[in-house]
Amino acid sequence: MSRMGIICFAASYGIALLLEVSRLWFRSRLRGVVILGCTAAGLIAHTLFLGYRAFTVTGSPLSSEMDWCLLAAWVLVALYLMLLFAYPRTPFGLVLLPLALGLIGAAGWWASREPYPQAPASRVWGLIHAGAILAATVAVLVAFAAGVIYLFQAYRLKQRRGPLGGFWVPSLEWLDRMNSRSLGAAVVALAVGLFAGVMLNWINYQQHVPPLPWSDPLVMTTLAMFWWLLVALVLAVWYRPADEVRKVAFITIISFIFLLTALAALLLMNTSHGRNRNPWQEQSGQAPQVSVEPYVWQESSLRGGICLWGPAGHGRSRPPFVAQLRT
Amino acid sequence: MNLLLVGCSHHQTPLAVRERLAFNEAQTVAALSAMRHCWPQTEAVLLSTCNRVELYLGGEKETLPSAEEAGAFLAQFHGLPHNLIQPYLYVYEDEEAVRHLFAVASSLDSMVLGEAQILGQVKDAYQLSAAQGAAGPIFHATFQTAVKAARRVATETTLHQRRVSIPSVAVADFAQQVFDRFDDKQVLVIGAGEMAEETLKYLQDQGARQITVVNRSAERAEELARRWQGRAATWEELVEAAASADVIISTTGAQQPILTAERFAQVTAQRRRWPVFILDLAVPRDVEPTVGDQPGVYLFSIDDLKAVCDANRRQRDAELPLAMRIVEEEAAQFMADLHHKASAPLIVQLRQGWQKPKEEELQRLFNKLPQLDDHARAEIRQAFDRLVNKLLHLPLDTLRNHARQGVPHSLMDALAKLFRLKE
Repeated sequence: MSRMGIICFAASYGIALLLEVSRLWFRSRLRGVVILGCTAAGLIAHTLFLGYRAFTVTGSPLSSEMDWCLLAAWVLVALYLMLLFAYPRTPFGLVLLPLALGLIGAAGWWASREPYPQAPASRVWGLIHAGAILAATVAVLVAFAAGVIYLFQAYRLKQRRGPLGGFWVPSLEWLDRMNSRSLGAAVVALAVGLFAGVMLNWINYQQHVPPLPWSDPLVMTTLAMFWWLLVALVLAVWYRPADEVRKVAFITIISFIFLLTALAALLLMNTSHGRNRNPWQEQSGQAPQVSVEPYVWQESSLRGGICLWGPAGHGRSRPPFVAQLRT
Repeated sequence: MNLLLVGCSHHQTPLAVRERLAFNEAQTVAALSAMRHCWPQTEAVLLSTCNRVELYLGGEKETLPSAEEAGAFLAQFHGLPHNLIQPYLYVYEDEEAVRHLFAVASSLDSMVLGEAQILGQVKDAYQLSAAQGAAGPIFHATFQTAVKAARRVATETTLHQRRVSIPSVAVADFAQQVFDRFDDKQVLVIGAGEMAEETLKYLQDQGARQITVVNRSAERAEELARRWQGRAATWEELVEAAASADVIISTTGAQQPILTAERFAQVTAQRRRWPVFILDLAVPRDVEPTVGDQPGVYLFSIDDLKAVCDANRRQRDAELPLAMRIVEEEAAQFMADLHHKASAPLIVQLRQGWQKPKEEELQRLFNKLPQLDDHARAEIRQAFDRLVNKLLHLPLDTLRNHARQGVPHSLMDALAKLFRLKE
């Protein structure tokens, strides 16, 4: 049912995207209204889907990788809808909608639906962590969109091409500003998200739950992205070379690659992020018959985050959680 | 009700004649006053722009002056011999006059197709006439619909979005693609060409305030800087001024490039702000084309701008049939409404004539059936009303349909005879 629901609103966004693409070839008075209608209808269905998940799954809308991806896509589409109202002749959808559809595709086909472990003590930090990382992801995607349009606009102007028939492209100055502001927002959000992640780990540690190791692929890629975004922000705001185009291209492409890598680490690689690291729930789905005392997590047991993963639900491998039990 | 238009425009009338026939605001007021004196039963609007002089007259056929009289009035007002302007005058009546006015207001008859000023001029002409008491209900409806038609053309076509003058293309289609705002940008003007002045006007409309003028003649630079509220710089300060400029407009009459690649390298060495937008409006060119190959430099020559102007003009021309169709639709609808209005008194009489027997029959019925309560009476009254409306619907609809071809005199006669109505 959930995949069908996802296909429904993804199809609405897909139609809106096709109509945006059609601006390149012909003009139509009706098209703007249809784009608006399709996007709004998709967004309503998307909202209802997330609302349904929120009522039926504990901790939603950020309770699983799937919900997280869908919420990130929802924010992107909502942003696109706002831009559509503010700048009806600018085809932001050409860049934003594929990104949103990419996130929806990831949610439907790769992301795990298994809820993240819920512990009352870490719930607030968990929400801050997931929300801030989501904001950072959206900000990087917006920066990417602004960067791509910037490169297109700069290319057109260098070729001395006149205005395009079907649409209006924003100025280089506006796009540059949007790019650097989005990067700034991404850096702040990611800093908050990482801090909340550290706090979560600390709380886990206090409760004798094995924390996420620094060597986890997701942690490493996210940290690398944070440092890169910091550098990119400094470059975007203070470094003004004559070849601004190359700078924007460099920042845009590298930031996007970092984001893709982090998302790939989350969705495709063997990470113990967001997994239940409680061994007696993970191995058999029920508590062992032995009497269990609070376990002691040992650093060495994680083997530096290198794959030791065993089988898990939803068709993808899960971490084995090798923390030792003292029985 | 009839309409008459007598006028001349840039299509056939030379400027020498147009300028002698033009009316300024005071002359327009005087002319309208004189017309009210000559033709008191006639409404009048006088539209005078640099490209046209048109006199619109409206009223009953018997009171409306002839085209010759209207033409003679225009000539006499300016003390010109009638035969001087007679060959250039065009005359349109009724639907043709309406169609022409709608096309003029929509800028389809302008020298620069789609230019935006004409709609404002049409509105001003009507408002001035209304203020003088020369325009009444006829022209109120006509000019309101003309404005509506012009707005439809503006929104349903791209006629007005395509700029066709070099300065407007330079600013709107290129400078505004590089910069979002101009109030914080340094504008450097090299030389004192007419095109630079025009471009500067557009830039100032967009908020440009920091203007520097460089000219070989320091006096000329001072004069231009004073006029544009900027500052003058000496020719020796050119590199320094170019290094701090965001927008450079060059229009000198120099035979050799002023901003050569070598000189621009000096500019680049001093620059702290990128990008730079350069408009080379000079012929021969002031800026070496290789300067435009450098990163962060967006250089446009007059040929680049002209190519866009030509493309825009072609696209405007392609939009013309659609714009004309809109004007046709609006004019046809307006005329149908106007013709239909001619039958309004007859329709009112017809409705009133049917109301009387209806009321009599209702009264008779209610007297015969005193047991009816208020609800039943209301229901019966409603049924009678519906019956009358249904019986009248077909003839009135036929009347409305025939009004599309003109005032339906024959039908109106028939109705008047059949139902003994006063015409």
